[in-house]
Amino acid sequence: MSVGASELLVEPEASVDVVELAGKEVAARSPRQLFWRRFRSDRVAMVSAGFIIVLILIAIFAPLIVKILGVPGPYVNDPNATDAFGSPLGPSAGHPFGVDQLGRDVLARTIYGARVSLVVGIFGTAIATVIGTVVGLLAGYYRGWVDTVVSRIVEVFLAFPVLVMGLGIGAACGVRGCAGGLIQPGLGTVIFIIVISSFTYIARIARGQVLSLREKEFVEAARSLGASNSRILFREILPNLVAPLIVYSSLLIPTNILLEAALSFLNVGIRPPTASWGQMINDASGIFNTAWWYMVFPGAALLLTVLAFNLVGDGLLDALNPRGESR
Amino acid sequence: MATYIVRRILWGIVLLLAVSAITFIFFNVFPSADPATLRAGRNASPAIIHYIRHELGLDRSVPVQFFNYMKNIFLHFNFGYSFYTGASVLSLIKDRLPATISLAMGGAIIWLMLGIPVGILSAIKRGSVLDRLAMGVALVFVSMPVFWLGLVVLFLFAQDIGRFHVLPGANTYTGLTVDPWKWFTSLIMPWFVLAATSAAVYSRVLRGSLIEAMGEDYIRTARAKGLRERRVIFRHGVRSAITPVVTIFGLDLGALLGGAVIIETVFNIPGIGRLNYDAIGHSDFPIVQGTVILATLFIVVANIVVDIAYAYLDPRVRYS
Amino acid sequence: MRVSRSLIASVAVTGLLAVGITACGSSNSKSSSGGGSSSQSSSANSSSSGGVQSIPLKAGENPVGQTLTGSTKKRGGTLTVYSSEDFEHLDPGESYFTQDYGVDYPTQRPLFAYMPNTANEVSPDLATVIPTTANGGITDGGKTVTVHIRSGVHFSPPVNREVTSADVAYAIERAANPNVANPYFPAYFGAGAPAPLQGTTANYKGGPIPGIQTPNKTTIVFHTVKPSGSFLVSALSLPISAPVPQSFAGPLDKKSPTTYGTKYLVATGPYMIKSDPKTGLFQGIGYQTGKSLTLVRNPNWNAKTDFRPAYLNQINFSIGGDATVIGRQVLQGSHAVQFDTPAQSAVKLAYQQYPSQITFTQGSGDHYVALDNAAGVFKDVNLRRAVWANLDRAAIIKLRGGSLTGSPATHFIYPGVTGYEQAGGAAGPQVPWNKSVTGNLQVAEQYMKAAGYKSGKYTGSATVQIVGANNGNDPAIIQLLNSDMTQLGFHTHVSLVDQSVMYAKYCGVPKQEIDACPTVGWVRDFADPLTVLYVPFYGPAITPTNNSNWGQVNDPQINAAMQKAALVTDPTARAQAWANIDKMLVNQAVAIPEDFDNQANLESKDVAGVNELWNTGTWDLDFTSLK
Repeated sequence: MSVGASELLVEPEASVDVVELAGKEVAARSPRQLFWRRFRSDRVAMVSAGFIIVLILIAIFAPLIVKILGVPGPYVNDPNATDAFGSPLGPSAGHPFGVDQLGRDVLARTIYGARVSLVVGIFGTAIATVIGTVVGLLAGYYRGWVDTVVSRIVEVFLAFPVLVMGLGIGAACGVRGCAGGLIQPGLGTVIFIIVISSFTYIARIARGQVLSLREKEFVEAARSLGASNSRILFREILPNLVAPLIVYSSLLIPTNILLEAALSFLNVGIRPPTASWGQMINDASGIFNTAWWYMVFPGAALLLTVLAFNLVGDGLLDALNPRGESR
Repeated sequence: MATYIVRRILWGIVLLLAVSAITFIFFNVFPSADPATLRAGRNASPAIIHYIRHELGLDRSVPVQFFNYMKNIFLHFNFGYSFYTGASVLSLIKDRLPATISLAMGGAIIWLMLGIPVGILSAIKRGSVLDRLAMGVALVFVSMPVFWLGLVVLFLFAQDIGRFHVLPGANTYTGLTVDPWKWFTSLIMPWFVLAATSAAVYSRVLRGSLIEAMGEDYIRTARAKGLRERRVIFRHGVRSAITPVVTIFGLDLGALLGGAVIIETVFNIPGIGRLNYDAIGHSDFPIVQGTVILATLFIVVANIVVDIAYAYLDPRVRYS
Repeated sequence: MRVSRSLIASVAVTGLLAVGITACGSSNSKSSSGGGSSSQSSSANSSSSGGVQSIPLKAGENPVGQTLTGSTKKRGGTLTVYSSEDFEHLDPGESYFTQDYGVDYPTQRPLFAYMPNTANEVSPDLATVIPTTANGGITDGGKTVTVHIRSGVHFSPPVNREVTSADVAYAIERAANPNVANPYFPAYFGAGAPAPLQGTTANYKGGPIPGIQTPNKTTIVFHTVKPSGSFLVSALSLPISAPVPQSFAGPLDKKSPTTYGTKYLVATGPYMIKSDPKTGLFQGIGYQTGKSLTLVRNPNWNAKTDFRPAYLNQINFSIGGDATVIGRQVLQGSHAVQFDTPAQSAVKLAYQQYPSQITFTQGSGDHYVALDNAAGVFKDVNLRRAVWANLDRAAIIKLRGGSLTGSPATHFIYPGVTGYEQAGGAAGPQVPWNKSVTGNLQVAEQYMKAAGYKSGKYTGSATVQIVGANNGNDPAIIQLLNSDMTQLGFHTHVSLVDQSVMYAKYCGVPKQEIDACPTVGWVRDFADPLTVLYVPFYGPAITPTNNSNWGQVNDPQINAAMQKAALVTDPTARAQAWANIDKMLVNQAVAIPEDFDNQANLESKDVAGVNELWNTGTWDLDFTSLK
């Protein structure tokens, strides 16, 4: 993923905001409040955030929603929904999004596909963030040879062609998993690949942040008071990392969702019959010229989801760092 | 500067070795099938499998195998032979490389030609309708899965199946020397798909970077000196704003030359990415190793070139 | 023998008792001298079994009676052949795959071969006549077969010289060389054959075979231990008898595996793989693995000695890509044919818009679901019957392209093979689990209960491992089986892998204990029902790797019956004996038959294609011409 040179945390000047009517106290707002205020004023980002919340709800309540919409479940085969040659029939009353070659309802599968993308995107990114933060903290705080070693290791990971390793891991762990069952085929493998390919991004950002933070006065003050290294790390530095980490990891989520879709498209991701948007597009790649619905709807769902996450991420980034222009 | 370059190159070699070793270990510990069984074909007895394992050197210890392998590469430029067919890996790579290079270079030219002007224009006319539109479109393309865009483009414009019969569809790639016109037209759609997503990213990055650069003091000074706006923008603004773009470009191009698996799959272009993908499926390990090393080489070289360019563009950057 | 795409049967027969005589055939066969009564295919037109909507064949879509030669045939031109699958072996001594045969027979001349319009009647190729008792070719009670070969047949450069009987002898003897490892030598010629060649005892490890003698340059004499007669003649129509020059190939055969066929090759047929005329090297010149193969005319081929017209000047194979895309390119383009199985959507497109450009070859093989009989949940026969009862075979037909491409299978001997009618014909044995081709949950539940699951659903803790191929129509078929299984309560684990990996690592390796391999298929080598049932279901034919008895079926009664039936000589009795074995297999539900295939093949509008009825309708490159 290409992101420009990472911006360091810029503490906005504490500004006195709109003055209340006389009689009330004048209160300055904290950076965090200002952050949320700026985010809230970004309407596009708010709408996207709303969309994501709706999507998460849909994913959680998928069975209920499918029932409400009156379509069959995502794993119900219906040979009668294909014509005599086996070609799937298009959108109709009973199947608003059409069916696939097994006669399964595409609308239901698109809804259930959200589960896969969200779980992989959010949890995979979360794990990558944790690992990346630890790595970045170590490198940035202790500097010296620790930094050199850790940074070099990170560079090795960065030099890997991500997709190649993903394909290799997927192929190798496809049937029975690998590392003695530690990496389970399907979801486990995909999350593993995502973590490996994206923790470096967080690590670099965290390291950069820590490098500058450790020189700040409050750290020096804590050290002069006799605080241990771990105390400084956890009590002083880490809290200041939270905001940028949230922002940058939220920018990572759409990338990881796309990565999962790509892996599923290349047959090494989520295993059938589980509905995954990438897998569905892969299934459609042979027949999309006539069965366009099977390719269009999961792709559109993917596009909208990733777009929403990108917009939210952009909004967060702008809220964090108002000097860089918003859209 | 010279020591910097030398250090980067040395580190690059170490990286290459490290990646090769890790790939080697990985595919020996987790092969997707026993290569000797695969190579023996569909009709081998245990005896011939054992013989083949010995012939391919698979019965030696992993470090010894790795050492022999690296020795072959660096001393004899021999990347080994396919487990599946016995063809030399180097010849297979050489055969597939032109397609990948065609794809990567053409795509890169287009995305630079698209992304940079759009990024600059959007930054200059910040907040205008043009800016909003451009960035909106860019955002949409950034959010799109590349393979989906490829299928959609085929669905719309492919001569055989598209709604509008404009361009040759999938599986039509021919070599440049075989039929230059067909080579060109068969690559237009893949180039566009490749360029669309990348150009979007680049324009966004460049826009942000340029806006920030334009807010710097030295820009104000340049204007105060009475320089023309165009000169201010390009000579001063873009020059410093372009650094992140250079970084990303180098990395992207490096990664792409290692094979764009997805695009090669969707359009069935016989490139390195596809070679690698097929080989992984067959557990044809020498090919996988060869293509990974090649891809890493491109990435490492790109990294070095980018770092040097970065150092040249921004004299403040000279790591101690 | 192996068929294109997922119709694959890899044969690795050890030197034990394996006899797997498989020959591709069509249903519209004339009765062969060795076969049984000719059987008409009931699936010649469209499905007669319930549950599958019939689609009538259009004119010209059944290749029976196609024009082979004549004034409509144009000489010259270049044909493009598309296949998403690569070749397995180009060495005629190793090939055992329909696509490989498509290149073998235009480039090599075995002793006997098939004209495209027949599946059971061999014609003399390198030989001058078919040996029979009447003409003195078969003597000594069937234990001696004498074959006279033509003169004037030459090898391609760099060998150039005339073919002699010694070349045929070497071709057969090298098959036993472990570096060549022909998959059917043990079954038809060696120690495991019903009538082995003399001198090929279990200890034989290669080298000249005492049972093959060459009294002069144009005569070759085979001595077998027991009477074999016409059986041996049929077996010699396989590519193994294509002559190989020992002086050229001998040193190559010392490499393990041999480089004859991977790097170097010479030809005797009208075409050859483009190669270096000084060395015979074709790899990198005429063959780019996974990409392309080029056939050019063999300069030393003498048309007067051959029944092949060889109209085309050059044939370019383009390997790889998506089968659907290839299908469209063939149908909408020019000068092209497709060699591998067309995708379902291509079948529909052709039938609706290009009906004169698709053919359906009847009786071209079958598919079934291999179930692990030896380990795991499917050791229990009632569970196997339950899954069979619930499987929607009609839906599987649809996934392949509808009734044009085949009909639901109800037993294992498929149409066109003798014994088909005796084994039950289209409807098959009327056991409860076989009655409904769309699947019947109630019947299935009865067998679940018989297996001890009172609720009618599986309640155990084992996971059913399903491994299948990830290309073509297979993923959809596998998911169908998966859902029919989960309906019965089984916990399943589906893995889609590369096709060759599926066989080499999983389904063909007993130790992996894969519970279900859903899309294995089989084609016979020639007209004998034994070949359809033996290798896939005979216990002693199980091998630790490259196993073709994927279900590890090892039923003592079935084994004994097969041993007896292999020795029956009277054709009618033989057909009946194997039909009875088929019924036993159905009774034990050793595997689940899916479909009787009518293989589809696509051509462009300006190609006058000729289908090999004996080879699943693969386009015969010797008889095909441009229009």
